[in-house]
Amino acid sequence: MSSEHPTRPEDFDLYALGALDDAERQAFESHVASCADCAEKLASARGRTAILAFAAPPVAPSPGVKETLMRQVIASAEGPGGSVARIKPEPVADGGIFARWWAALLPVATAFALATVLLWLHNEQLNRQLANLRATIQQQQQELAETRHQADLIAARETLVVPLWSQKGAPDAHGEGHARVLYNAKEGMMTYDGWLPSAPADKSYQLWLVPMNGAPISAGVFNPQNGEMSHMMMKFPAGVTAKAFAVSLEPAGGVPQPTGPMVLVGPIS
Amino acid sequence: MPTRAAIRNPFARVSIRRSIYLATAEKRAELKATDASLIDRIVQRDESALAALYDRYAGMLSSVLNRILRDTQAAEEILQDIFYQLWRNAAQFDSSRGSLSGWLLVIARNRAISRLRRHNPASGDELSENTVVVASNLESSVAQQQLMAKVKSALDNLPQEQRAAIELAYFEGLTHSEIAQRTGDPLGTVKTRLRSAVETLKRDLHS
Repeated sequence: MSSEHPTRPEDFDLYALGALDDAERQAFESHVASCADCAEKLASARGRTAILAFAAPPVAPSPGVKETLMRQVIASAEGPGGSVARIKPEPVADGGIFARWWAALLPVATAFALATVLLWLHNEQLNRQLANLRATIQQQQQELAETRHQADLIAARETLVVPLWSQKGAPDAHGEGHARVLYNAKEGMMTYDGWLPSAPADKSYQLWLVPMNGAPISAGVFNPQNGEMSHMMMKFPAGVTAKAFAVSLEPAGGVPQPTGPMVLVGPIS
Repeated sequence: MPTRAAIRNPFARVSIRRSIYLATAEKRAELKATDASLIDRIVQRDESALAALYDRYAGMLSSVLNRILRDTQAAEEILQDIFYQLWRNAAQFDSSRGSLSGWLLVIARNRAISRLRRHNPASGDELSENTVVVASNLESSVAQQQLMAKVKSALDNLPQEQRAAIELAYFEGLTHSEIAQRTGDPLGTVKTRLRSAVETLKRDLHS
């Protein structure tokens, strides 16, 4: 058959179909390899046979195949020498879509992450500012409450205003110390405002309430700075009747009962 | 998808519309491009041309690969291989000698049957070796659908034995002797059935 044309036109189609057995096939190939006319007929027969593929039920490839193919193509174009190892197709159809979405969303996700960090830092700064403001407000409210107490104390009929003066021979260097005590026995409230020079390093001033009966009651220990007013507000048990107020110079930190010299004294007349 | 900013910004809206228009126009141009022009662009390393050919023929090939192999993963491996080979060796393809669609169908079938019968995979010379002339232009999906209907009708008109013989030969790669062995029919009967089927199909499909 190698020197003879196929006897029937269908032989070309049967060869293209792959139906010829070995001996027939080899003889056919041997002839066609040297016969341009038959090679042309074979090309047409291949086309006629090829379209039998359209008898197959339609099956669309999964989207991942194209995505993998294009990645492989790009990798081969960018790789050394233009050749790369074959990339296996994605077994899961939607994996490529997720990867593509992820690639598209990555810059957005990064921006979101950065914005989140910046917002968190800004939030922390605002929280700190808010805490400071709350502390300031709390302090101001406390000061306001003290001022109101003092105003109420001054306005109350039973409140005593007791001036305290330096005593002769007192350790007040310039004899310029003076103070004022407001005392409301009914409310058990007392305020002290006074000016005294700084106490020696190992000493403190101590304020005393001298009751009608009994030992003096400590009303507070203070160490004023030069030229600054000392202000204290104290709460006592209600109903303690005072006959005098006094400031003594005591060992630093104060003592249970007065031991040092009296610096300021204010008797209640 | 336009962003909120883009929706509020009329200039951004115009820009988005222009992008959509350009993308659509590009898609239209690729749908109209001939196989030969797309092959030329692949030779110039234009990846979008390969993507266009894939969109054009992957469904057709996937169908026949799955019909032969009945294995989706194996079918998709071969599908990817074929297009990758086209990317690498497009310069060897001579559009004047045959049609790309026919070549793709022949290669897909050969590779699937080789896999099915555990033969060695075909070499990379298939592009220049297998000249395939398909009378129909299959570059549009409409043409493919019309041909599908025509082929199915032609096969439906065959006697059942002839149709079965054709399908065993085409989709399973069996020779005359193998079909006879499979069906238990005499070899001569099988040869006659196949020859008659081929004659009928040639008449019905290409007259």
